[in-house]
Amino acid sequence: MRIEARGLTKRYGDVVALDDVSAQLTEGRITALLGENGAGKSTLLRLLAGLSAPTSGELVLDGVARARVSPAEARRLGIGVVHQHFSLVPSFDGLKNLMLGDEPVGPLGVLRPGALLARAERVMRDVGLEVDLGLPAEALSVGERQRLEILRVLVRGATTLLFDEPTATQTRAEAARLYAVMRRLADDGATVAVVTHHLDEVSAHADEVVVLRRGARVFAGEARGLTTDELARLALGAAPPPVSRPPPPVDAPVVLALDALGAGRLVDVSLEVRRGEIVGVAGVDGNGQDELVELIAGLAAPARGRLSLDGAPLDGLDVAARRSRGLGVVHGDRHALGIVAGASVHDNLVLGELGGDEAARARQRLVASGASPARLDVPISALSGGNQQKVVLARALGRPLRALVVAHPTRGVDAAAAAALRARLAEVALAGCAVLLVSADLAELRALSHRLVVLCRGRVTAALPPDVDEAELGRAMLGGAAA
Amino acid sequence: MTLVTRHARPVIAAALVLTLFNLLVFAAGEAPWRALVTGLEGSLGTAYGLGQVLYKATSLAIAGAAFQVAYRAGLFNVGIEGQIALAALAAGVVGARLGWAPAWIAVPVAGGAAVGVAAGWAALAGWLRVRFGAHEVITTILQNRLADALLPLALAHGLGETGVRTRDVAASAAIPRLSVLSHALAGSAASFAVLLALVTPWLIDRWERRAKVGREVGLVGLGPEACRAAGVPVSSRLLVALTLSGAVAGLTACGAVLGYKGHYELGMTTGVGFAGIAVGLLGRGTPLGLLAAALLVGALQQTGLVLNATVPKEATDVLFGAVILAVATTGRREVTR
Ligand SMILES: Nc1ncnc2c1ncn2[C@@H]1O[C@H](COP(=O)(O)OP(=O)(O)OP(=O)(O)O)[C@@H](O)[C@H]1O
Ligand SMILES: [Mg+2]
Repeated sequence: MRIEARGLTKRYGDVVALDDVSAQLTEGRITALLGENGAGKSTLLRLLAGLSAPTSGELVLDGVARARVSPAEARRLGIGVVHQHFSLVPSFDGLKNLMLGDEPVGPLGVLRPGALLARAERVMRDVGLEVDLGLPAEALSVGERQRLEILRVLVRGATTLLFDEPTATQTRAEAARLYAVMRRLADDGATVAVVTHHLDEVSAHADEVVVLRRGARVFAGEARGLTTDELARLALGAAPPPVSRPPPPVDAPVVLALDALGAGRLVDVSLEVRRGEIVGVAGVDGNGQDELVELIAGLAAPARGRLSLDGAPLDGLDVAARRSRGLGVVHGDRHALGIVAGASVHDNLVLGELGGDEAARARQRLVASGASPARLDVPISALSGGNQQKVVLARALGRPLRALVVAHPTRGVDAAAAAALRARLAEVALAGCAVLLVSADLAELRALSHRLVVLCRGRVTAALPPDVDEAELGRAMLGGAAA
Repeated sequence: MTLVTRHARPVIAAALVLTLFNLLVFAAGEAPWRALVTGLEGSLGTAYGLGQVLYKATSLAIAGAAFQVAYRAGLFNVGIEGQIALAALAAGVVGARLGWAPAWIAVPVAGGAAVGVAAGWAALAGWLRVRFGAHEVITTILQNRLADALLPLALAHGLGETGVRTRDVAASAAIPRLSVLSHALAGSAASFAVLLALVTPWLIDRWERRAKVGREVGLVGLGPEACRAAGVPVSSRLLVALTLSGAVAGLTACGAVLGYKGHYELGMTTGVGFAGIAVGLLGRGTPLGLLAAALLVGALQQTGLVLNATVPKEATDVLFGAVILAVATTGRREVTR
């Protein structure tokens, strides 16, 4: 179905999230939606799906103009959204999550999961998505959860698909597979819109581009022929500067040491990070990365092995005690572990360290974060996804650090802000912090790390130099997975 | 929602409640309008009636505040009922043994006993929650039943004057009645415990906004996982919240035992805890809202008593349910997303 937005404006109080935006999505085509954090991309998708009402303007659906569409109507018209924030029930398995809100019932209201399972499997086969439907959502990696969200929309027969940053949680290879899925759907006549911060995906996979800046549409046109630099100029004003890795430390002492650590998925993980060193952890998401970060943070206790900071064991210390020894942690799952969604930006910036010169600290971190709008008193849920991430990082980086463990620091952050964050990580390392960087973004890992280790099936299966060729790194990541 | 329907909703709700009232009274064989006038006169129209409303509202506001403290932390304290009853027993038992003490010792000690017992009782549920993950709704309901069984047992075995009540508390442990201020209030149950109802919600609100622990309790209620990851001691905050909730519930006993009856007797606090939950929910998290809700429910209860002679209690209970629903559904609600 063809969707057209005509002069859409959306205000939240005095914030203009969308400013007189007109755009159209066409059948059979993939439209990429670009813009910096807070530009209004998610807002536009929500309006198109009837999930919030525009302050002014209208939607034209199948040639019929309307000021407002209800979510139910939008669904009837086959519009499906895959949100930036997941909406899965953690304890439900994949199949139950697929059913939720759209239960397949037979006569007498008896639940009929069989038919749905068959349909889900057919869709997965047809479009090439892979999700384990037998596991509870909480046991899935972020990447798998993302695919489950997409499957949910597809199983419901949506033909207009609005994806909000579906590739933020995926490795480049996984992202390419997702775009292959989208292409197959578009070839079958679906209308596809996709928000992304990875500009290189646009020229590779999209047909059309719409660029938003501070709520206004600044470009709409064919994707073909646009270079990444041109896109960056359109979306961000300028191409972000390349990151430079800090010089490798010489004869530096070990700060963070993991010795044969094991728990859950993790088996015998031994690692050392030296003062001033950035060690990158590469691997397909779901191979133990989350567990590794949680063990180091003190959120989970290791079943085996030892962990030490500056030579002193960390065993038995809780999160706060580890922090006071100079350990900083950023978890990969922003929504569960990063932010308290109902609390203010202020409280999120100083969470776990209330009191003292709190007000000054919060103000300082807000400025350092670069989040916009730069306000402390608004609930953090009023910030766009990328801006929330900036707040989480500012909290972790806003203290003197001996060691920093960061997972997916630039996930959902626009290219310019991501470059600034990476520069900040390099700066932190240069100042003597030991950094363990977990990321699904291989380019990021290669650009920042002094060494790479590959985590596969819970084991460290390879140690590689950062300039290793990408194909070889990819093989190392998968090689273990196949073993 | 459009502006018109938003403003029309309370009006529609009030009209529906009034209609229901008329129907109920009519069904009971009374003249509707006259019943309404009688009821309102008996609760809000006379100084005595007002005093009774104040007395009820005192307990309800404190019990509501108790509920809110736990609710902020994401805990649903259904055990306020039992916590109040045990606290009332403690106030009676200790108060009766303070004949030697001047008022400035006797009142705080008797009140402190009530608060301490209720806090300990609630802390048990808190401990079960953080140590074993036992859900507080289940454990506090069970604790209510347990309290129901323990109270007569305790009265019968040493703590009571008879099997159903304690001895009278010492004169020095009694909280003066408001009737010392005005003769019009003579005979009414309202005492200076009403000050507790004014101060407690406000103090708690300050604590939740300003104090480190209080703020952390609220943050834990909003996002326990993220708090844990950020190093907030989540278990300890949950325990604090439920214990404090119990302690505040214990304060409720002061108005009833020390300010009114002068002793504890079985069943004298029945229903206050549950009504307090309704007040806590209606109060929407602000001290003023809490006081307004307590006055509303207190006035309804008193009206019900006045009408009791002519209209059956069940009918007025139905009406109160309707009023509470109406208030709950017409209030302003933040729409998110
Ligand atoms: N519920 C809300 N209340 C107040 N402001 C909001 C709300 N939702 C969004 N905004 C504001 O609207 C603007 C656009 O937000 P939106 O989420 O659409 O950005 P985005 O382009 O998707 O950014 P990101 O790339 O970070 O996801 C932001 O300034 C944001 O702070
Ligand atoms: Mg967004």
